[in-house]
Amino acid sequence: MSDLAKEKAARLLKKRGSLSSLGSHDFKAKETVGKTKDSISTVSYIDEPGHHDDNPRPAVQTENTYQLSPIRRFPVTTVNDILKDVLASYLQEEKYEAELCRQMTKTISEVVKARVKELMIPRYKILVLISIGQLSNQNMRVGSRCLWDAANDTFSTHTFKNRSLFAVANVYGVYSE
Amino acid sequence: MDEFQTGEETAFVVDEVSTIIKESVEAAIGGNTYQHSRVNQWTTNVVEMCLSQLSKLGKPFKYIVTCIIMQKNGAGLQTASSCFWDNSTDGSCTVRWENKSMYCIVSVFGLAI
Repeated sequence: MSDLAKEKAARLLKKRGSLSSLGSHDFKAKETVGKTKDSISTVSYIDEPGHHDDNPRPAVQTENTYQLSPIRRFPVTTVNDILKDVLASYLQEEKYEAELCRQMTKTISEVVKARVKELMIPRYKILVLISIGQLSNQNMRVGSRCLWDAANDTFSTHTFKNRSLFAVANVYGVYSE
Repeated sequence: MDEFQTGEETAFVVDEVSTIIKESVEAAIGGNTYQHSRVNQWTTNVVEMCLSQLSKLGKPFKYIVTCIIMQKNGAGLQTASSCFWDNSTDGSCTVRWENKSMYCIVSVFGLAI
């Protein structure tokens, strides 16, 4: 280990202050073992706060990210556009029919989930709820309430109607650390 | 990941949740017949009661509760949901309740924190 490297590492460590944790130390130590016994020296190269791994399903033990809030919020308007688009394209010409609509609710919910997943919003769980009903002068009310973190969690909703049926679609985006 | 809490105590137990839903619906609507002016109040009451009971379980979950109340007049209704979440921790429960004049469908989704 050259003096230069040690100096750099020490500087980085100092900069990071209390953020360098035992966890990251261990992780790096495993990688550098064999090269040098002084494992603490290279700790700081990975995981500067703000540059982190966003893999939502880590296959291996990952380092702490020190990330406390989403880097990208759930894009409500984009999701709303998806809902409008999907509902219109699937239901515009359809007439209410029980069997068809049974299939339709499943298909639409899957399609919407896939489309929202494609947006690649890290750390958000997605929940899609679709209801299709027949229009025949009945009254109906849909209400929902959530126990969640109002700052980061959100939802998007859209109602579609044609001559013989209506559809209500809700998408919830729930932040999970 | 370190697992500090495991087992029944922190899991989404469907039976427990379905009981809560049924009790809430019974308490909020009970034997009433469909009245347009009161539906708003009923939906609010059902979700409110469900949530307060769920939060009393004291489990590390975020909850989403939806309630659909529909007048019975022969019209059909289909609902479906699909989720992108952690199958091992998160769960959902849907209860369909009806009396002579209306349907009430309540879904609860529990997402582990």
